[in-house]
Amino acid sequence: MMIQDLSRRDFLLRTGQGFGGLALAHLLRSEDALTGGAVGGIHHAPKAKRVIQLFMNGGVSQMDTFDPKPRLTQLNDQAFDPGAGQLVESVTGSPGFKVLASPFEFKQYGRSGRWVSSVFPHMAGLVDELAFLTSMTSPTNVHGLGSYLQNTGFTLPGFPCVGAWVSYGLGKLNKNLPEFIVMPDPDGLPYNNLGNFSAGFLPAKHQGVVINAGPDSNGTTPVPFLFPPKDARQITPQSERAGRELLAQLNGAFAGRFPSNSELDARVSSYEMAARMQLSAPEVFDLKSESAATKALYGLDHEETSDFGRRCLIGRRMMERDVRFVQIWSGAGGPSNNWDNHANIQEQLPFMSRQVDQPISGLIKDLKSRGMLDETLVVWTTEFGRMPFSQGEAGRDHNGGTFVTWLAGGGVKPGVAIGESDEWGWKARSPIQCYDLHATMLHLLGVDHERLTVRHQGIDRRLTDVHGRVLKEILV
Amino acid sequence: MVDRRIAFFSISVVLVRLCVVADSAAGASSAWSLSPLVSPRLPEAVSTESNAPIDQFVSQRLTSAGLSFSPPAKKSIWLRRVYFDLIGLPPSPEALDDFIADSSPLAFERVVDRLLGSPRYGERWARHWMDAVRYAETHGHDEDGIRENAWPYRDWLIQALNRDLPYRDFVKLQIAGDVIAPEDPWAVAATGFLSCGPWDQSSQMGIQDGTLDKKIAQYLDRDDMLSVTMSTFTSTTVHCARCHDHKFDPIPLEDYYALQSVFAGVDKVDRPFELDTEVIQERARLEAEKQALVEGRLPTLLASLQEDIVDWAREIRSLSVPWTFLQPRNLESINGSSFEILEDQSILSQGELPDTDTYTVRAIVAPGTLTALRLEVLADSSLPFSGPGRSENGNFHLSDIEVRIDGKVIAIDRAVADFEQSGWGIKRAIDDDEDSAWGVHPQEGQSHRAVFHFKDGVTLGAAAPIAVTLSQGHGRGHVIGRFRLAVTDHASPAEDIDVSNEIYAKAALVDSQRTEEGLRVLALAYLKEANEEALEALPSPRMVYAVSDRFDAKGNFKPSIKPREVHVLQRGNIRSPIALAEPGALSCVSQIESRFGLVASDLEGPRRVALANWLVHADNVLAWRSIVNRIWYHHFGRGIVASLNDFGKMGDQPSHPELLDHLAVGFRDQGGRLKWLHRHIVLSRTYRQSSADQEAGLAIDPENQLLWRMNARQLDAECVRDSVVQLSGKLDHRMGGPSSRQFKTSKGVHVTPVVDYDTFDPDAPENLRRAVYRFVFRTVPDPLMQSLGCPDASQLTARRETSATALQALALLNNRFVVRQSEHIAESLARIPSLDGRVPELFRRAYSRSPTEQERQSVSRYARQHGFANACRVILNSSEFLYCQ
Repeated sequence: MMIQDLSRRDFLLRTGQGFGGLALAHLLRSEDALTGGAVGGIHHAPKAKRVIQLFMNGGVSQMDTFDPKPRLTQLNDQAFDPGAGQLVESVTGSPGFKVLASPFEFKQYGRSGRWVSSVFPHMAGLVDELAFLTSMTSPTNVHGLGSYLQNTGFTLPGFPCVGAWVSYGLGKLNKNLPEFIVMPDPDGLPYNNLGNFSAGFLPAKHQGVVINAGPDSNGTTPVPFLFPPKDARQITPQSERAGRELLAQLNGAFAGRFPSNSELDARVSSYEMAARMQLSAPEVFDLKSESAATKALYGLDHEETSDFGRRCLIGRRMMERDVRFVQIWSGAGGPSNNWDNHANIQEQLPFMSRQVDQPISGLIKDLKSRGMLDETLVVWTTEFGRMPFSQGEAGRDHNGGTFVTWLAGGGVKPGVAIGESDEWGWKARSPIQCYDLHATMLHLLGVDHERLTVRHQGIDRRLTDVHGRVLKEILV
Repeated sequence: MVDRRIAFFSISVVLVRLCVVADSAAGASSAWSLSPLVSPRLPEAVSTESNAPIDQFVSQRLTSAGLSFSPPAKKSIWLRRVYFDLIGLPPSPEALDDFIADSSPLAFERVVDRLLGSPRYGERWARHWMDAVRYAETHGHDEDGIRENAWPYRDWLIQALNRDLPYRDFVKLQIAGDVIAPEDPWAVAATGFLSCGPWDQSSQMGIQDGTLDKKIAQYLDRDDMLSVTMSTFTSTTVHCARCHDHKFDPIPLEDYYALQSVFAGVDKVDRPFELDTEVIQERARLEAEKQALVEGRLPTLLASLQEDIVDWAREIRSLSVPWTFLQPRNLESINGSSFEILEDQSILSQGELPDTDTYTVRAIVAPGTLTALRLEVLADSSLPFSGPGRSENGNFHLSDIEVRIDGKVIAIDRAVADFEQSGWGIKRAIDDDEDSAWGVHPQEGQSHRAVFHFKDGVTLGAAAPIAVTLSQGHGRGHVIGRFRLAVTDHASPAEDIDVSNEIYAKAALVDSQRTEEGLRVLALAYLKEANEEALEALPSPRMVYAVSDRFDAKGNFKPSIKPREVHVLQRGNIRSPIALAEPGALSCVSQIESRFGLVASDLEGPRRVALANWLVHADNVLAWRSIVNRIWYHHFGRGIVASLNDFGKMGDQPSHPELLDHLAVGFRDQGGRLKWLHRHIVLSRTYRQSSADQEAGLAIDPENQLLWRMNARQLDAECVRDSVVQLSGKLDHRMGGPSSRQFKTSKGVHVTPVVDYDTFDPDAPENLRRAVYRFVFRTVPDPLMQSLGCPDASQLTARRETSATALQALALLNNRFVVRQSEHIAESLARIPSLDGRVPELFRRAYSRSPTEQERQSVSRYARQHGFANACRVILNSSEFLYCQ
């Protein structure tokens, strides 16, 4: 029987019955055995076991979401003048530098009294769970450089991203899935393409495994090359099972000729692990077992929210299975359909925020109700903020001067906010840099950012370069 | 990782005791690498098996440690090893048989000489070099544009290695080939070395000249060039001295900026390189003639041209249209553009780029009859991609045009343009529809023109005001950058040809009225046109992505013309310049003068030449040690100094310092021939050893630093891919030319296209060439090659790391290309009638040996039940295929 005639599930059940001499029951047991297994930081006891990062590609406007600036309403349509002869620049041009008030209404929420605009009604209800960094800064106003910086700590290509460092530093937490998984926007990769998920000079196995989890992904492989190609002529479940046995035999014999070479043993086990991945990976993406209420919580029942919601729900399922680091992207690269709202904030921002607001709050609530939030770090971020003055009709240009990031979950103090931007939301008064965010993330995972280093081209490289301060104020 | 380091230091204690140059206190020092290069005395013969110096040095160290060489590997294993090492492919079963049958003591040498003479050798070793210099064919930043012309550098590398170019020339040409050998077109391609690294298009082209951000981008780009140069040729980490004196090595801040200054004149750019000498000479002649004409000199006697000129003048008279430029009196923009009126009456739009705009030009026209208006949109180097528009790609969109004379709107019934963008024709500028417009994509960077015909001729009895309104409502900055307006009274201006008014006036005179001076003007114009046509008729020059100080500006990316000023920067901060940097190199190589004394020169070329000469100086102790160590690494999987790109204090100490110096001196003194070095290494007893475990060796030196055995190594990604195709007999040995794109591309949302490897036809011819010709896309690497450890070319990769992972296993099992090739291997073996015969042939192709009886049976059984293609797929996934023993 040919593979084309089989459903994926049938294929799995059949192949799973005993390839490489491993029985399905045994495989599932070993998976069970690992659930809730070792947490293990490397420098101190960790507060969080794993991370789910939500990256809003394009630069989320801070003064239209979480950092209200009433002063802009007073100055609306006047030329922007920060005084003291300060140079006002704009990378893609903002004729006249006319101040643009936020078109959105802000209200206070929760015990913490956090101000949130009308674009995030769901997240607004969760402010007491979140810790805001309201004066993040970036030295660059360019997307490519900015996203490299927020992901790798450097503006140049070729450096490992946070997920790769975490995978490298902490090793494997689960047995059947990759350590670091990225789910880009189904519309396309972000700026820098795969560069943002790179392992840089670390071994390639630490790079992000990019998974297409978009709405049309049913039937495609959730992990690259997970199953034989559809046009493979001779591959059947039986040939796969017997092939694995033959391969195990050949590779075992070869490894036996070089007992001191552990890499050859690793090759044998890599094929066993691949087989386990074939069993467990599709299950992660199969949402049939999720209740209607859970799906609704993530907004899977509405077209606008179903894509991002689906990826958040899959992200939670990955967290449950101890994938160490998951990154979910909203927005592709390029000039539109992302958070790069140059032309019109009033139209473009809600178009994006509606897609993510309910899914993200669903994710936090779900993690909490399942008791997982305590050991899961959730990070919501972007590459920079936007300008207090207008561009195009009523849009805003890039602004590395100040923007907002929030964290929640394992080890994070809920309902706090640190950092202050100036009265216009133009620049940070107390700048927080990506190094501080990265140092804090590593700290929560039990890693001292100054001590996780790798020698490359004569330099002991670290994620935080020569910077970084653990943001103790937001830690429990 | 930590364990490895501990193991290494414990071994180095042994080494330090034996090592002449080691620093006794720290056990780690860079002193050895800077010490004078003298050939050490050969040790007294301790090995009875070989007199070769390599073996004497290695066996001396082994003996001192109580070890000895492992037995020689089986002939078949040595053969497979030396094939992969020298040409990157496995031996054919026939080559295997021949070698096994050849019992002559010269059999080994014959194989080595044949392999070193094979063009496959250059392909194999060029790929190693391409890792070291991070060769790829896209820019690698956010705007990851394709470099259409990177490949000639790769072709030069392959040729240079196959010709065994002396190492001195090999280095010099890569740094300054264009200056050293201007007569050799391939020397320009060699300088592609300097442009291999990433390039930040958005900063280089987008940011205004003179700003700090632009200067930073330029410093970083030079940092890229100097890092690759110094890491590759001298194994130093000079880039560590960008912000402060090197923390560990004797490299002061000044040396770093001296190297910055060497590259102060060049940028990474496409430049022409011509291979046909006749074309080279003809182009040079025409360029000289062009220059003479521009300066107003007639290269020929006027009398000899008279007849041609008279004919030409007649032609002009009959065809061309006399245009009168409008002299702008008043210019308006509704969105704040400012204007500059240039000498030629053209108008340059400047200032903050508006999203949309409408320009109005007011002028006075003389009495007479007007039949048409001409709009020229002009290329200008200050515009993005040289314009003529101001949008980021140099395009514009003219939504509508309105002409008023004496306050009355003039009806336009017809418009023609020399070029129309698909879907954006000139008619769309006279349709009164603000949403439709005329554009010129993809012919940005050139001037264009359009003629608007008045429905009825406008007759004026007296001078009258004219107002031309150009509305450009498309948005995203699609406004005109430079333009010029003119009117005519010609009855049928459709046949517009482009001559200046002055020429028209001269041509319009009847022949007898023409003065000597008038003739001269016409002759110059005539010859200019002929010259332009001749230049255009030459085959367009090939281009190579290299470096240059002269090129056509693209947006804000402009040539230096003369070296830019480079300052020593305190803490690497652009705002804290200390002093002007002087071109030079490392002062720690004390045997050679480290400052080049060229700071006053306006020429950048001599700076690079001086660095090239410094690098290959006989006393450049770092350079000669660096290259022999690099070659040694690729043969043994470990360098004599393990840190190939760092001979400093933080790098590793040499395991065999005397051997290293012996090889460096020998290599230098016999002319720097790499093939000489390979030959000595692969024919040594050291290299011939078995890689099997030995008890004593494992106990005393588990890391095999002393080389008591050969290291078994996993094949690199290119060897795996090439071997797979060779096994099916489908390997296409066509050399050189543009790279094979083993992916589909479609338009991306921005500069970078969408790259799709998954649906690319596995049987496409591009898939069958050697992997050295594969197109490497920096930010979207090939997933199969990446899983096999192929680097993404963002960083210099002296050594590749491979590790067996589940994702690698899945890629090798299920990648469409591998699966399809296993089907092809099965097909190619189908001519052998029985399965019992096919399995041994498969083993001989893949493993260079015959199967054992048990192996033959189990593989045959599997093939019988599940098909031979599946058996081939299993073999392609087996460790023995993927390893070199």
